Amino acid sequence: MALELPKDKWSGSVQEVVIGATAADGGTRTAAVTVGGETTMPFVHFEAETPNRPVLALEIKDFRPNDWSTLLLDVWGEATNDPGAWAKAAEEAGADLLLLSLSLTDPEGNPNTPEAAVKAAKAVLEGSGLPLMVYGPGQAEVDNELLVPVANACQGERIVLGICEDKNYRTLVATAMANGHLVVGRAPMDVNLSKQLNILIKDAGLPLDRVLMDPTTGALGYGIEYGFSVMERLRLAALRGDAMTQSPMSVNVGFETWKTKESKVGDDVPETWGDWEERAISWETITAITLIEAGADIVILRHPESLKRVRAAIDNLITAPELS
Amino acid sequence: MYIIGENIHIISSKVKEAIKEKDAKFFQEIAVKQVEAGAQALDLNLGPRKKDGEELFPWLVGVVEEVVDVPLSFDTTNLAAIEAGLKKITKAQPIINSTSADPERLEKVPLVAKKYNTKLIALTMGTGMIPVTADERVNIAVEQLIPRMLEIDFPVTDLIIDPLVLTVSGCQEYCPELIEAIRTLQYVWDPSPHISVGLSNVSNAVPNANRPLINQVYCAMLMGVGLKMMIADPLDKELMEVVRIIEERDESTALSKAYLGISDKIGEMEEVTTDQFDLDDPEQKAIWKTVQILMNQVIYADSYLEQ
Repeated sequence: MALELPKDKWSGSVQEVVIGATAADGGTRTAAVTVGGETTMPFVHFEAETPNRPVLALEIKDFRPNDWSTLLLDVWGEATNDPGAWAKAAEEAGADLLLLSLSLTDPEGNPNTPEAAVKAAKAVLEGSGLPLMVYGPGQAEVDNELLVPVANACQGERIVLGICEDKNYRTLVATAMANGHLVVGRAPMDVNLSKQLNILIKDAGLPLDRVLMDPTTGALGYGIEYGFSVMERLRLAALRGDAMTQSPMSVNVGFETWKTKESKVGDDVPETWGDWEERAISWETITAITLIEAGADIVILRHPESLKRVRAAIDNLITAPELS
Repeated sequence: MYIIGENIHIISSKVKEAIKEKDAKFFQEIAVKQVEAGAQALDLNLGPRKKDGEELFPWLVGVVEEVVDVPLSFDTTNLAAIEAGLKKITKAQPIINSTSADPERLEKVPLVAKKYNTKLIALTMGTGMIPVTADERVNIAVEQLIPRMLEIDFPVTDLIIDPLVLTVSGCQEYCPELIEAIRTLQYVWDPSPHISVGLSNVSNAVPNANRPLINQVYCAMLMGVGLKMMIADPLDKELMEVVRIIEERDESTALSKAYLGISDKIGEMEEVTTDQFDLDDPEQKAIWKTVQILMNQVIYADSYLEQ
């Protein structure tokens, strides 16, 4: 007897968003990346196909970071001293797009400057043809000071500027509008605030096909279940037709997992924790796959091996299983 | 609708100031104003007042009873202060607000209520997390609150169960649960205890401009399932108008039909639908959007009306 699978009928869908512009669209990227467009909960193949695969970004820095795990510094090696070279290495490692996160200070401890930020962004664009996201260091004033000149310098490239928060979004939205870029908005694991921020960004004038949302999540063992249900609720609301929750979701898995004790600490841990590098990669990989199941459209990672493993998992998830 | 006026509340800076100054005139004015606006009892929420509660509550009772005759509701966790206030009561049967299912409170507070022949508000919560589903709230009433009253021979008809309103800004998914809790609670015991809620809690953490509308629409919903008592703001004229519309079944205007329609559909366990509203009328459109957030159909955001 044939099994009749019950299907949900949804009235809404996730907004489709294109990141990066090729020469044909006035940029210099070798290919653009399209995310979103889903019309079902994640990978419910019997209801509808997943129109765009979740994409994987690798995070690189403008300066060799002094707060990153030595595991990461070792695997990226010399490239960490040169954002252009790091971008090239990340592209070769298989990333779909890049996140350049700008530092608060240079390695000598001097405040970062707009000139240095622009130089780093330009080097990344030259080092790799991948679409680009650029985040400020996370302090409102410094973010605006660094990102506005970067946005101007990258005009036409359709980069993603981040991160908009409820107290600081107008400047980023304005410069994104002026330069043909996108923004990502972040609320602290709260569906109400995520939605509110999207309303504010839209009211400030940016069309919704240029907005991503970062719902904020925790790493495995550090609140991932809470992040999961926030993402699930946002996706359900999007499918029910709430336009202000339909932005594709971007999650910064690398940032979250590499600060956990399990990833950070190699010495003086119980022997049963096993090999440090394997553990750290697994932490990043499992967190990423879990959030992809929750509906993440963009996953930002740090370790190239994690990227390979998450990519393999997506390959499995994206094709409908044979039902017998 | 029996309204317990909420306006003597420590959260108000004017009330705080008046306590500090022992400004009797302030409290008398606000008491009279609420009663004239339709309050049938007055809540006195002065916070825990650990230091001066036993002096402050009796003082306030004297001040307020000079000008109004309605029952006074002692809204504090300070039981000694409540007792001191109760001793001073000369007029209507007062209310203690509140006990909960917390074992220590449920042990002590009902005994005081019995000793002074007061009504008693009992919250459907214990010591742990606030229960969120309708069933959990009803179970606390049936398994803990009512049995304790029977145990000490406190009349269930003097018991007022408060199944706890949670805010739409943050606890949205539980707004419909409260509606169902109220629906069920009326039938769990014979004779039925009263059921009352603190209505304004539904709009806690909501920008002030949107609070009255959310309170009004939720009030229509709760009246649909039979709510007959609430702690609320009697000075909110629009809220009082919604109460009147539903009680009198006033169908004379498009707006009154809209509110009555919400109340009726909720009462009949049916979905409130968009065709009940004239969406070209901004007022009705705002009401419809508010219904959707309160029924957890659309995610709440501070700017939900502008969406």
